[in-house]
Amino acid sequence: MAGLTLEHLYKRYDNSGKKKKTVNDYAVKDLNLVCEQGEFVAFLGPSGCGKTTTLRMIAGLEEITQGNIYIGDRLVNELHPKDRHIGLAFEDYAMYPPLNVYGNVAFNLRAKGVDKNEIDRRVREIAPLMQIDDLLDKMPVKLSGGQKQRVNIARAIIREPELLLMDEPLSHLDGKARQAMRVEIKRLINKIKCTTIYVTHDQLEAMSLADKIAIINFGVLQQFGTPTEVYDDPVNEFVASFIGEPPMNILETTIIKADGKFYFTFKDSNLHIAVPKRYYSVVSDGFRCKMGVRPMDVLVGGPDSDGTPEEIATFENLGDERRIGIHVGDVLLMLITEDEKRYKRGDIIKLEVREEKTHLFDIETGDRIREK
Amino acid sequence: MARITLENIKKAFGKVQALDGISLDVRDNEFFVLFGPAGAGKTTILNCIAGITMPEEGTVSFDGKIMNLIDPAHRNVAMVFENYALFPQMTVYENMASALRSKLYREDEATIKERIDKAAKMMKMEKLLERLPSQLSNGQKQRVAMGRALVRTPNVFLMDEPLAHLDAKLRNSMRTELKEMQANLGSTCIYVTHDFMEAMALGDRIAIINKGKIVQIGSGDEIYYMPCNEFTAELMGDPQINIIPAEFEKNGSGYNVVIEVNGEKLKKELPEDKAVFAKIAADGIGKADLGIRPQHIRYSFEPAEGYFKTTVYSYESIGNKSVITAECGKYQLRMIAPNGLNVAIDSDIYLKPELDRSILFDSDSKKYIIRYDEEAIRAFATKEVK
Amino acid sequence: MKTGKQRALNILMNVLLIIYAIFALFPLVWMILISFKSDTEVFTTTFIFHPTLSNYQQVLLRSDYARYIRDSLIVSGGAVLVSIIVGVPAAYALARYNFARKEELAFQILSYKFAPEILVVLPLFMIYQKLGLYDSYIGLIWVYQLISLPLLIWVVRGYFEDISVEIEYAAQVDGYSWYQIFFKMLVPLIKPGLVSSALLAFIFAWNSFTFPLILASSKVYPVTVAITKYLGTDSAHYGQLAVAATVSAIPAMVFALCIQKHLVRGLSFGAVKG
Repeated sequence: MAGLTLEHLYKRYDNSGKKKKTVNDYAVKDLNLVCEQGEFVAFLGPSGCGKTTTLRMIAGLEEITQGNIYIGDRLVNELHPKDRHIGLAFEDYAMYPPLNVYGNVAFNLRAKGVDKNEIDRRVREIAPLMQIDDLLDKMPVKLSGGQKQRVNIARAIIREPELLLMDEPLSHLDGKARQAMRVEIKRLINKIKCTTIYVTHDQLEAMSLADKIAIINFGVLQQFGTPTEVYDDPVNEFVASFIGEPPMNILETTIIKADGKFYFTFKDSNLHIAVPKRYYSVVSDGFRCKMGVRPMDVLVGGPDSDGTPEEIATFENLGDERRIGIHVGDVLLMLITEDEKRYKRGDIIKLEVREEKTHLFDIETGDRIREK
Repeated sequence: MARITLENIKKAFGKVQALDGISLDVRDNEFFVLFGPAGAGKTTILNCIAGITMPEEGTVSFDGKIMNLIDPAHRNVAMVFENYALFPQMTVYENMASALRSKLYREDEATIKERIDKAAKMMKMEKLLERLPSQLSNGQKQRVAMGRALVRTPNVFLMDEPLAHLDAKLRNSMRTELKEMQANLGSTCIYVTHDFMEAMALGDRIAIINKGKIVQIGSGDEIYYMPCNEFTAELMGDPQINIIPAEFEKNGSGYNVVIEVNGEKLKKELPEDKAVFAKIAADGIGKADLGIRPQHIRYSFEPAEGYFKTTVYSYESIGNKSVITAECGKYQLRMIAPNGLNVAIDSDIYLKPELDRSILFDSDSKKYIIRYDEEAIRAFATKEVK
Repeated sequence: MKTGKQRALNILMNVLLIIYAIFALFPLVWMILISFKSDTEVFTTTFIFHPTLSNYQQVLLRSDYARYIRDSLIVSGGAVLVSIIVGVPAAYALARYNFARKEELAFQILSYKFAPEILVVLPLFMIYQKLGLYDSYIGLIWVYQLISLPLLIWVVRGYFEDISVEIEYAAQVDGYSWYQIFFKMLVPLIKPGLVSSALLAFIFAWNSFTFPLILASSKVYPVTVAITKYLGTDSAHYGQLAVAATVSAIPAMVFALCIQKHLVRGLSFGAVKG
């Protein structure tokens, strides 16, 4: 059974009377998505891409312009938020300040008139899961950011929702707390096996947490797939450059033919890279497109390598790894190496590219060009 | 361009001792990084150098000349503030021109324009010059703040976490850009950060600051490979270094090492390293903390010779690679793995720490004792210092 | 899409607002009407009467009304000017420096506005007589600081607090002296707050009645007090009174209308936005 289904979902804001902010009135445009029961799905995109609007429509906090939302197999379009069986955990953990943690966690159940013993049983059950058992008597003001977020999530899951919705729950936390909390959330969801929608603009969070990622830009779903799929097989330039850090190198290229073989060549650079055979059916001499390759797939060749000699523009020693930047025309091509060798600016290295890992994108639309 | 020397600087704010005897010697034209956790006193050091904060004790000197009583305007320093501190009522151009239009550093308008155009080109912000700060994104504001410093020819550039407010991706690409610019900077630069990648990538030398004191000074490699204590070791590296409490037992001519995994004592032979063995024997070391970086923990999902069994606590991507965290009872072990593995939480995993890569720390004082291949690594790490 | 329910709500809101507007504007309209009525018609409550300019003639041409206006301008304007000169540095100090009992001091300044004027005016009357400040411009300007200074200090202090101190540091490092920074960087940033609080202070000072009534007599005669002249012991010239009131209200109204937008924004927004 599907946990959540979105069918041709649209959201259009009535911009009449207001200054037009965007040319595109649609915050969400023809969104189709099926999340399986128990799946952890991240909505990922830059700010203003419509991911939060979608979440709010699912929660019932925002009217739907067009389309259908099913939670399980119930059509929920017209249902009030409280009748949708959802749990919500937002970015700003709005807790009731006069209540202690226990009171906050129990609040929803009390409001529903659940039996007192039952409430206590459920709070005691959830508290250790979220590691808030020691905090139950504390007041919200005494909690750290990470603790507040735990309570916030506990509050969302205590109602045993069919669907858990989280909107950037970690964005208020810093560095280490964030990393630790990320692990906690992942372990928790793994345990309660609740279908979860997680909105974030941080590709790292999406990559490390989600079973599947829905990448959204300008209100349009770009790609929906597992982290490995979106990383290794992006459908367009946007996805390719949004996922991964450092991002994929994307370079404008003209393909030339020499001795029966095709090569990527670049403006103002003598770098040339063989085009993988599988693309031979779609390219031609003089074909212009963009070539993408991840920094991990660009290598420093050994002394007898036949890679193109290139001058190092930047060398960053990051301890665990080293990053090298090379000018290809006016683009800085990045590569990552764990090799212990230290270089400096101006050194010449032989550049090799794992040709099989290159991707082609349309120069105008940015769409992926695939082999036929 | 100047050599900056701090001697025994002390500064307290109320009851908090922000700086507790800071002594530094920043060489001419050096890119010097002050690195440490939030609240360590890094910004206060910068402010003392700029003259914004008056130290209660100690001296600040530029090229041997004591500057304590010189006001900020006359010190000829260019500073990039953490919150950018752009003048909100002025355009980007006017912001950048500000210093060159002051009485002290006045240049004629043609020179100003030339310098701003050059800096704007370097920072890739030619199109922003007529905008007001309120019309800029954070990344752009950061560039303007940097550009405002770059138009000058100061004694020293002071940069206070200039990339801290950018998101991870932009921060990394700006860091790379900064690295590219570094060669053209042609001046002493003191750079404050709490991001170890910035510290490693940019610094000719790094000073680790904690609680108002200097913990260690050295090149990135020196600090990375030979951290003076566990605190420093944990700061340098993401995911951070694994610390495994261990005991040593004499075993013939060598030693056995005993570590505890999920309550079970595991005995292994300690790999041979003359210097390490000599140190253990000389100081009679019975126990120590082993620091092993995540890339030096080997793992397998099948039982294997020399590997011990435990369970996966988490598996998560950190961009171009992933981190597996394994539960070991009193501690957890982090290790690097490729993206896209199918690792279930709480499933079995078999681990083998590469003991011959470890750094030994004192179990009580947490201070550096010795590491494997110390000689070779010291030679390698110190070679880099310019 | 608007439903019928929303539309009905809209109409209801508008009706309520109109009722409130009539309620609020009525005294003003009535005052203006009276100013055009002859003494005989003053007490009729109908809107039909024989408009006359005689009241205006009487007040504006045949009495010292112009002098009263001038006095009001001098006293209120002087008070605001002094407040700016004293208040802006005070606000800066309260915003930037940490010194013992800072908050208490700030609160004390504000508390000047708490005491009813009538409470302080009698002791002041005695003091003023001793000091020779009674019935002088300086005396009134001084006492008006009770009205204008707290307002100005508190608004401008908020503006200074909104300006990050790093902006000052940045300007220092750029080679500017403190005075240059103050006038070049800070004053433009606090301007909205300064202008709106100064105008508000001016209006309050202009409307002040108790202080000039007791602390001035013949040499200084602000309009608010002058109006009472038209209430004679034997007869009350309500028409002339209305004219005097109308004219004296004009500066305040003109200011309020001109700067309405800026006033609200100046008092509610900070200095550094975005």
